[in-house]
Amino acid sequence: MIKKSLLSLLTLYQKFFTLIGYGSCRYYPTCSEYARWQFEENPLHIAFYKSATRILSCNQLFPGGIDYPQKHRFCEKPVKKAEDLTINKIKFWLVPSKNKKISIIKNFRFKG
Amino acid sequence: MSANQRLILAVVLSFVFFVGYTAIFPPEQVPSEVNATTKTVANTQNSTASSNMPDAQVTHEVAADEQLIATDSSNLVSIEAEHFSMKIDTLGRLSSKVLKDEKYNNNENVHSEMVAQVGTKPLHIRFADKAMNEESLRTPYTTSVRETTITEGASSVVKMQQKLSNQTVTKTLTIYADGHYDVNIALTNDTRYFVYLGQHVMRKGQMMMAVHGAMVYHSDDMTTIVADEDAESRQNFNDVHLTSSFDQYFASIIYGLTPDTTVTIDRDREGDPIVYIAGSQNFTFNGYIGPKEYKVLKAIDPVLTNAIEYGWFTFASAPLFKVLSWLHGIFGNWGWAIIALTLLIRMLLFPLTYKGMLSMQKMKDVAPKVKEVQAKFKGDPQRMNAAVMEIYKKEGANPLGGCLPLLLQIPVFYAIYRVLLNSVELQGADWILWVNDLSRMDPYYILPILMGATMFYQQHITPNNFTDPMQEKIFKYLPVIFTFFFITFPSGLVLYWFVNNIFSILQQFIVNKQFAAMKALKAATNAKEEGK
Repeated sequence: MIKKSLLSLLTLYQKFFTLIGYGSCRYYPTCSEYARWQFEENPLHIAFYKSATRILSCNQLFPGGIDYPQKHRFCEKPVKKAEDLTINKIKFWLVPSKNKKISIIKNFRFKG
Repeated sequence: MSANQRLILAVVLSFVFFVGYTAIFPPEQVPSEVNATTKTVANTQNSTASSNMPDAQVTHEVAADEQLIATDSSNLVSIEAEHFSMKIDTLGRLSSKVLKDEKYNNNENVHSEMVAQVGTKPLHIRFADKAMNEESLRTPYTTSVRETTITEGASSVVKMQQKLSNQTVTKTLTIYADGHYDVNIALTNDTRYFVYLGQHVMRKGQMMMAVHGAMVYHSDDMTTIVADEDAESRQNFNDVHLTSSFDQYFASIIYGLTPDTTVTIDRDREGDPIVYIAGSQNFTFNGYIGPKEYKVLKAIDPVLTNAIEYGWFTFASAPLFKVLSWLHGIFGNWGWAIIALTLLIRMLLFPLTYKGMLSMQKMKDVAPKVKEVQAKFKGDPQRMNAAVMEIYKKEGANPLGGCLPLLLQIPVFYAIYRVLLNSVELQGADWILWVNDLSRMDPYYILPILMGATMFYQQHITPNNFTDPMQEKIFKYLPVIFTFFFITFPSGLVLYWFVNNIFSILQQFIVNKQFAAMKALKAATNAKEEGK
């Protein structure tokens, strides 16, 4: 419930309010997109904390660049239908990175 | 019209509606506790039931109120001062106060009236005893002085008497040229009665944008505001430092009450708040009625400055006003003070900007790589953005400003908006050329159009890459939307936004210039190398 309303708030922000200062985020994914992935993949409190620190560090004192969200806790969820495993239906790649962390990376070919 | 065009239209309209709605019905219209502290002391009824506490039978009655308004009263005393003329009617109430200064004139260019002709009036006395109250409404006050003039810096005393069958009310008013007054009410027999604060005038036009209603500033720096139409049940307060009935620029204030005095906020038929104060046999207090001008209020009594409120954002807006009036002290003009304030905020953000400019030095190495990547991922903006960011990170150079400075500007803008909206000082404050009143909309629409134009230009020189064509369309129309949105705003606010745009453009211009210079240098060195 909370997650859904937060995500729709984010959509609203991304559609309209981001236009006032469009194209100023120093990161990929942008802060709002980062928050979206966080809220989709991680528990609420983690997502809040991570998104807040991300926005705070999105200024010229920090280098910026590529910064993927990390999966807080990894658990295997079996895919129910085989056709869900086509390249256009996978939303996020969970990629193991340094320090046993798992990065959340959006599939460029995902069609929602 | 194609489906796509209709969709764009719908989105633009809903966006305008959304922004407009929040502007017209700001969330702070609900009664709010300004300070974060909870309303503990405020709403709990005084447990020690003192004889002054109004109970159910003696509260303000709506019907009685209407009767009271209808009561025929004529003028008893006229007071003339350099800046105002005041009238007291035969019921001993302040029935009129007109500000003579032209800068306070209303939209129809008539001198502003401080006392509502419909509604309760300041200093009206209501007795708890019904019979006595009936009689008091029929018995006119008498006085020996019918007309008086106050010279600048002096005061005038008006003594009035009302003789009832078993009660004599003596009301002594000392009215000062600066707009405040001292009151003493003396009764021959001790009885319960209430003194009204009066209601503010419903002003046409700007009433929608600003908070208006009644407020009580009490005990430990707590402010309780009841906005018009939002008054619900009766609320009692003790230890009140001041109570005020206010609109955007003006207020009727009563202060100088003893801590045990009970102040009540009640509601009238429309749900507007009505404030009255429980009196005693020998009751002394102070009052002020007029514009909420910081310097004037501070000179009378520093506690009065608490009557200037900017809604729930007071904590940020009040210091901002102090900075603004300090700048006004330097420049002697509110227009230049606003520009200086914009510059000041920009300067506070300068360390960030400077850091960004430094990173531009490294851009020369990055530029060709970025171009290469942009060509490679043409038509796939998501992937392109990712690749560009990868390069920025690798080279330690990032030309973008970041989300934090941008988000920080939103509360700053809102604080300025509240300050400019509620500062009576801006009334009649001129700037240059055609701008002769920063508190009103620009009559020639020049400032909003300039604002839109600078916004358009700023967008034009700021690089962008949209992933969504519809977003891009809205983005392009944004300056137009903002121009229309800002048309009715106070000129001072439009001026702020306009100057802010100009600074942004200057900043972007310097960055772009540096960028171009780097490129040229790079090209030159390349050519040299090829020539070798």
